[in-house]
Amino acid sequence: MRKHPYIAFVVIFFSLLGGQLFAQAEKNELSVSLAYYNSNNQMHYLKAQARSKINGKLQMIPGIELAFYITDETAPNLLGKSITNAKGVAVLPIPASAKDEWNKSAAQHFSAVSVANKQFETTSATVDIVKAKIQIDTLTDRNIVATLFELKDSIWAPVKEVDLKVAIKRQGGDLNVNETPTYTTDSLGMVTAEFKRENLPGDSKGNLILVAKLDESEVYGNLTAEKIVPWGIIENHPSVFDHRTLFARRGYSPLWLEMLAYSIVVIVWVVLFYLVLQIRKIKQLGA
Amino acid sequence: MEISAKQKITEDLLPQKFGKPGMIWVGVLLALCTLGLVAYIRQLSKGLVVTGMRDYVSWGIYISNFVFFVAISLVGSLITAVLRLSDVHWSTPLTRIAEIIAVSAITFASLIIIVDMGRPERFYNLFLHGRLQSPIIWDVIVITTYFFVSILLLYIPLMPDLAIMIKFKDKTSKGLHKVYSYLGSFWKNNPAQISISSKAINILSVTIIPVAFAIHTVTSWLFATTYRPGWDSTNFGAYFISGAFLVGAGGVIVAMYIFRKAYKLEKYITESHFDRMGKVLVLLALLYLYFNVNEFLVPAFKMKKSEEEHLLGLFTGEFAPVFWFAITTAMIIPILILIFKKGRKPLPAFIAGILVVIGSWFKRYLIVTPTLLHPFLPMDNVPEAYKHYYPTWEEWAIAIGSLAGAMLIITIFARIFPIIPIQETLDETEELEHHQQTIATPQ
Repeated sequence: MRKHPYIAFVVIFFSLLGGQLFAQAEKNELSVSLAYYNSNNQMHYLKAQARSKINGKLQMIPGIELAFYITDETAPNLLGKSITNAKGVAVLPIPASAKDEWNKSAAQHFSAVSVANKQFETTSATVDIVKAKIQIDTLTDRNIVATLFELKDSIWAPVKEVDLKVAIKRQGGDLNVNETPTYTTDSLGMVTAEFKRENLPGDSKGNLILVAKLDESEVYGNLTAEKIVPWGIIENHPSVFDHRTLFARRGYSPLWLEMLAYSIVVIVWVVLFYLVLQIRKIKQLGA
Repeated sequence: MEISAKQKITEDLLPQKFGKPGMIWVGVLLALCTLGLVAYIRQLSKGLVVTGMRDYVSWGIYISNFVFFVAISLVGSLITAVLRLSDVHWSTPLTRIAEIIAVSAITFASLIIIVDMGRPERFYNLFLHGRLQSPIIWDVIVITTYFFVSILLLYIPLMPDLAIMIKFKDKTSKGLHKVYSYLGSFWKNNPAQISISSKAINILSVTIIPVAFAIHTVTSWLFATTYRPGWDSTNFGAYFISGAFLVGAGGVIVAMYIFRKAYKLEKYITESHFDRMGKVLVLLALLYLYFNVNEFLVPAFKMKKSEEEHLLGLFTGEFAPVFWFAITTAMIIPILILIFKKGRKPLPAFIAGILVVIGSWFKRYLIVTPTLLHPFLPMDNVPEAYKHYYPTWEEWAIAIGSLAGAMLIITIFARIFPIIPIQETLDETEELEHHQQTIATPQ
């Protein structure tokens, strides 16, 4: 080495280069989570989220292609494919073509498999659920009744000892119907919540949307049920479209603005026209 | 006044043919205009993509130039109207210089707006389908009105001079003689004509002041009616007007010096004129400085989060060199030069005037562009080019070409028409002599 100091340099250089190349070849570990959703007993969908720890930070990974399956990961049971968005989320509604497989059993197994790319190896996530639904209804005196059922031997049986959330659907979130956010189902699978939100603005007919929810249940997934009730205050927002406002389209400017603007323009241009006539007069005087 | 003295004044003030420097000057201006035209043809054929303007900076140096032109045009109302109505007579030799600066500037202000349009062939839609609620429409109306008022204010006092020039047929070309005859052969200098003309000039002087204030206030409202950091100000109208008077007065001093040298007008544009205009410029620079303190100190004291990035960008960030250059050259140095009597001699005053004009152009750039680069919502997921603005050569060529075009109009006007009003100078000299005789003659 003493004789050839450049050999040490070459060795160090190639070691670093090798390390760099090796580092580039390494792929990050991708983690995928999967959840089942039943929205108002009408739409069933799967939601997957892709995450990875990059430079010590957990990040949502966009652009990951995921294949969703029912029962097992075979081609006939492929539900469809979806790509994660900027938040790392991919959603796939369960298609009608999966009806036969869906009806085979009260319990279901779903999986999501990511397609390998330059950055990530393939990975998968599964979720098992028992088919369930929530029914929501109202009683007199503004009481709300929500009942949780699960499918057992082709019969919808009530489920007890499960926490349900009863709320009013608002823009950007849910509002509790009173001071209690969640209720536990009784032996009939029922919860009863009293509606205590007086003077809550509704839509143009005073309608509010009541919602009963089961969130992130390990057995049933995510369930919601909604009901429209006329318990809000009628909110009328008259349209100002085609009214004369400062923000309206052409020809719909406020009258005061038109009067002011046209008066100023007319006054100034009358003066200018008068001055042009004066030039004409000067011309005539010199003729 | 003796006839020979009258003759001498008239001959001194008649437009003169360009010498060699004049020809070179016109040649340079024409070359710059041609370069600007070539760049504009490129922009027309390829679209606004040849400019550095993108989604965020949609108003670049074209609109800076527009604001600059509108600002400098206000000098017409300052020198011609404000000083005339104040019965200030020393400004008489400067009125035509101020008016031609106003006309040429407002002409190019209108043209540069069209240059900024992606589809200029649709310009007529602004008149057919414009919304009265929009300050842009108010600007169109006011600019048109101001242009017309300025033309009248240039033409009416020119009529007696046209009649004088018709008499000097031997000193003008055939073509020019025809122009003079067409425009002023009817002027006989009779009392009725003089009376109508004086009355018309007085009416115009009164009219032009609110129109001039309106033109620049409305231009300021193009910005101030938009809720953006740096533009959301109630100070903007007065800030713009004070800045406009400053740059206009600076422009007049520069023009005074050049015409005085080129046409040997030392007898008519005297050191006293520079002294007085220098004082006016100091006053206007102090006024504009005051509005700048208002415009920047108060928001900087509060330093609202939304304004912070914009203000720090100006004070210590990306735009700091241009910001401090503009403040120093447009206000601080001219004040320091002109506050002393020696600084109000022609050459230092000319240098101060040049500094004011250059600094003021960059000030307009700072009003327009940095705000557009600091929107309320963060600039996420956009190409890197959107986050900065560097004018392309096409933009520079068009902007410089338009400035050259404005100077070309002034130069050609000075070649064709007397740059100092002949008849008014004769009348004032006669009045002065009469006044002196009255004092000298014992009762």
